[in-house]
Amino acid sequence: MKKDVVFLNRGHTLWQAKELMRIKKISGVPIIDKKRCLIGIVSIEDIIVALEKNYISDLLENHMTKSVITVAPEDNMEKIIQKFNRFDFGRFPVVDKNNVLKGLITKNDILETILGQFTIIYDHDVRREEILNKEMEWFNKSLITGNTLDKKEADFEFHIQYTDVNLAGMGAARLKKFLNSKMNNPELVRKASIATYEAEVNVVIHSGSNGYLYCWFNDKEINVRIEDHGKGIENVDKAMQEGFSTASDHVRELGFGAGIGLVNMKRYSDKMVVVSEVGKGVVVEMSFYNKTGGV
Amino acid sequence: MKLTEVVEYLGCKVLNKTPDYNNIIIESVGTADLMSDVLVFGKPGMLLITGLNSPQCVRTASVVGASAVLIVRKLSVQDATIQLAAALEVPLLHLTSSTYKTCGLLYKLGLQDSRGESL
Repeated sequence: MKKDVVFLNRGHTLWQAKELMRIKKISGVPIIDKKRCLIGIVSIEDIIVALEKNYISDLLENHMTKSVITVAPEDNMEKIIQKFNRFDFGRFPVVDKNNVLKGLITKNDILETILGQFTIIYDHDVRREEILNKEMEWFNKSLITGNTLDKKEADFEFHIQYTDVNLAGMGAARLKKFLNSKMNNPELVRKASIATYEAEVNVVIHSGSNGYLYCWFNDKEINVRIEDHGKGIENVDKAMQEGFSTASDHVRELGFGAGIGLVNMKRYSDKMVVVSEVGKGVVVEMSFYNKTGGV
Repeated sequence: MKLTEVVEYLGCKVLNKTPDYNNIIIESVGTADLMSDVLVFGKPGMLLITGLNSPQCVRTASVVGASAVLIVRKLSVQDATIQLAAALEVPLLHLTSSTYKTCGLLYKLGLQDSRGESL
């Protein structure tokens, strides 16, 4: 709103109002009393009528609109826009609880605010893009521990190919075999393999890109990381909901795509973090803790 | 119950035999066409009955530790599925009967439900 509002008193004439509007290039003037309380408003329409009917020299208090529609300083945009729609006025005086004039808001103010918001949103998008392009931090750091990853040091690595759907799950099957040969904890290995299987299938059916599967393990835990540089997940929260799926019929025919993949992964893992950006890919990291003691 | 007894009782075609085929015990039975569902309730030692004839059924069975896979309803089984069963050492059986009939027959034998529900 505009705070430096021009105003008149009840003792001014319509002619003075007309001159003020002409000089200031405005279309309405609030009228206030000595305590700065709003008592009326005069608009350019009132002036036209006064000129036609030849009473332009009369006092404002005889012709001003006395029941003025106002807005409060704390009103939000939505409320103000509603008022503009409901009452076909070009402006609303802003008054506090005691009816003291605080400013004036016009349709132009609303438009400027909206355009200002557009600029903020645009800036935000541009900055996010810059950050993402500069360094794909989440592709090089552990999502769970935050440590920089040395993927070459992984105990197990598998290249996930997305071109043949029938191969989906091969990495998980191999991982199972590998882990079972290294540790004697079939239940833990089973959990890790099942969750990995779902993650691998997701890469094959959703990402539209190849991916990598890494696994690190010690006697306390198994850590699995699955990453791709594909389409990404538009809304991770939504994707985590059971039954939500964007899978095609073809994928469903293969026995997947029912929207329980991520839910399953969460169910079997002790910790799980999913990071994704549309067009940048997905990284899923899961930890499986050995709760039985020795491996 | 022994897997060989199940095969004989139902009259299944055996598409892949593993070295320990004659000694495999079926502890429970479960059925689903949706592999994600199998990943939820699949138990080691189960017989997986499914209408899915692609390699994914064998791979899913292997990951959950199922003892064998029985493909039902479908007239044929993909070669890739049989090859994968051999590679992953999962016994693979085939029947053209419906899931309902197959399960009904096994129910009569008193085999346990892999989701743990009492019969």
